[in-house]
Amino acid sequence: MIWLNPTALFALAAIAAPILIHVLVQRRAEPFPFPTLRFLRPTRLAAIRRHLLDDVPLLAVRVAVLASAVAALAGPLIVTASRRDAWSRRIVRAVVIDAAVRGAAPRSSSGDGAHLSREFSGTSLSDGVRRAVAWLEHAPPANRELLIASPLPIGAISAADLAAVPPDVGIAFDRSGTLPAERTVPFGRLVTAAGVVSRVMVLAGDRTSVRDTPASIALPDALPIDIVARAETKPIVAAALDAVLSQRVWLPPPDRRVRALFDGTDGDVEPPRRRWMADAIARLTRDADLQDAASRSSALVGHAAWMRAPWQVVALAADGQPLVAAAAASGALVVSSAAPAADVVTPILLRAVSAAIAQPPEVGDDEVVPIADAQLRAWSRPATAPPTPRIDAIDGDDRRWFWIAVLCLLGLEAWMRRTARRAAGREAAGEAARVA
Amino acid sequence: MALDAACPPEVLATIGDLELVARIVVEGLVSGLHRSPFHGYSAEFSQYRRYRPGDDLKYVDWKLVARTDRVYTKQFRETTNLAAAIVLDTSASMDFPRLPISKFRYAVIVAAALSHLVGGQGDASALLAGDRFVPPRAGRAHGRRLLASLSTLQPGGAWRPAETVRRAADRLGERSLVLAISDFYDEEEATFAELRRASRMGHEVALFQILSRPEIEFPYRQDLEFSDLETGARLAINAGLARREYTDAVAAFLERMRSRAVAEGFQYSLIVTDTPPGVALRSFLLSRQG
Repeated sequence: MIWLNPTALFALAAIAAPILIHVLVQRRAEPFPFPTLRFLRPTRLAAIRRHLLDDVPLLAVRVAVLASAVAALAGPLIVTASRRDAWSRRIVRAVVIDAAVRGAAPRSSSGDGAHLSREFSGTSLSDGVRRAVAWLEHAPPANRELLIASPLPIGAISAADLAAVPPDVGIAFDRSGTLPAERTVPFGRLVTAAGVVSRVMVLAGDRTSVRDTPASIALPDALPIDIVARAETKPIVAAALDAVLSQRVWLPPPDRRVRALFDGTDGDVEPPRRRWMADAIARLTRDADLQDAASRSSALVGHAAWMRAPWQVVALAADGQPLVAAAAASGALVVSSAAPAADVVTPILLRAVSAAIAQPPEVGDDEVVPIADAQLRAWSRPATAPPTPRIDAIDGDDRRWFWIAVLCLLGLEAWMRRTARRAAGREAAGEAARVA
Repeated sequence: MALDAACPPEVLATIGDLELVARIVVEGLVSGLHRSPFHGYSAEFSQYRRYRPGDDLKYVDWKLVARTDRVYTKQFRETTNLAAAIVLDTSASMDFPRLPISKFRYAVIVAAALSHLVGGQGDASALLAGDRFVPPRAGRAHGRRLLASLSTLQPGGAWRPAETVRRAADRLGERSLVLAISDFYDEEEATFAELRRASRMGHEVALFQILSRPEIEFPYRQDLEFSDLETGARLAINAGLARREYTDAVAAFLERMRSRAVAEGFQYSLIVTDTPPGVALRSFLLSRQG
């Protein structure tokens, strides 16, 4: 049994009232005229009854009246097998319609055969699924079903979205509507000589295009590469960096910084422990242009220390000596070059470093192609038997039976009181009538 | 109307005409009696009776004394006018139970029947009930007056049986019949003293003790606050617990009444109100004939 308003059960304490009344109240003896008292002696009267329940059947009925009334107020729901069957036979359906596409709608009416149904539409199927699940949580007990009506392009819905759906809620897909002709998705930001620009990509079935718009980010903060060089060589390195930016590089994430050391300088370094640093070093070692340029160059001085940790050699010179090495210092990636600043290795190294620390955007999931039917079948599932319903979701209860019981018991109580009164009256009127 | 001595008391109680009630009772019961049930001291010998102080010694059967060593006096069938005084208890204790018939109403019916019976023999009848006194007279007109007086009686207050019996004995002529109808709850010793005095004055005494069944069997169970109908005294008891002691006390009281009446030479009849008055009177009269 489920109580829809269980706090009302505290009122059961009221049952103590009739019990106390029956225990404590001493019924006044009925007045009874009698010819003489000469043969009567005082007896214990009610003394022996004082601590006994008076009129137990009447008390039981009165207690039952109160208990039934309290139970009715508490909103009882008796979950019987037949009631569970009735719940299992009906369906509550939430239909999520992808309003971003034209013609997305379930093939049949969403209310067909459903005890209750509701449609949810929005620009995002994920948001629609979230709102539909919230509604289903408060739906009356029934087999719950989530129907997603959409052309279902890749990216419209994901496994993560469906993971939020309770396991007893069935999931069905209705591929309807037409796929959009194209989709515009963000495609990262680029650093140029003029500043940072935001790029969007327009994905279409047979072609793609990009569109850049300026972003409000100042250039010195945009490319986090600090140049460390002697004063006479620093303009050369800066010019090389400008050359790199003129070709546009991806804006790296803000937590990635690089210290580029030229003229063979180095400092206090430590092994690179962050993942992006190791990834960047690996990219540098795989950069074919850098390796080719380094193999045709020579170092100004030899750096035997680069052959040991924490340094990692990135590129070797023509004589086999280390030309470029990398390490870490104060959370930044340290890249040191032994090549002359005016060497071609310098701009190639700066371009390789920019590319190594950048994170090019991925738009593979945004392509305008439908989710595979096999994937939809894997996500689909039937609704299972409804679990124990939530108190606030129940659309009916059994309180009427308890109120009927209250009325019947009140009638019984009145009848018992009247009968007892009549019996007392008869006895008081005289035993002669009973004898007759 | 069919005359039946066994007419139930509750039926008789519904008949307002007391004369008719008396006729129903008496004519039903005397049909089986061949002689007058009341005995005086006329010439026709009727029966022996144990001698009581005050009896006229000339009626002592000395021959029988010689044979049996016991003193008996002879009684003769009445041929002269007999005066019968009906002493009726009108106390409030007689007003019980209210249904189907009270002891008082029953006593009134018995008194009316006795009056009718006595009057039918041409004898005189008197009535003493409370403060009311109907002197002894004979004749049909007197009988009607007595019945009318009976029909207007109402129970209430206390009863002074000793005083009433004394008045009856004093106002009757010699050797009359005193018929006392009461529950005899009051002044037991004084009442018997006056009855004894009346007997010594030569009157024959017959006691009709009228009780209801509940007074004898006390069938109550619950807590009841009993109030004395005469004194108004109250006593709250559990009737079920008091029942055994009560019934024992009542039985002892009735046995004491019976034994004392027999010892005094009184005729004693215990009548319960669920007995038809005709049946009770028939039993009484047959015992007199015996």
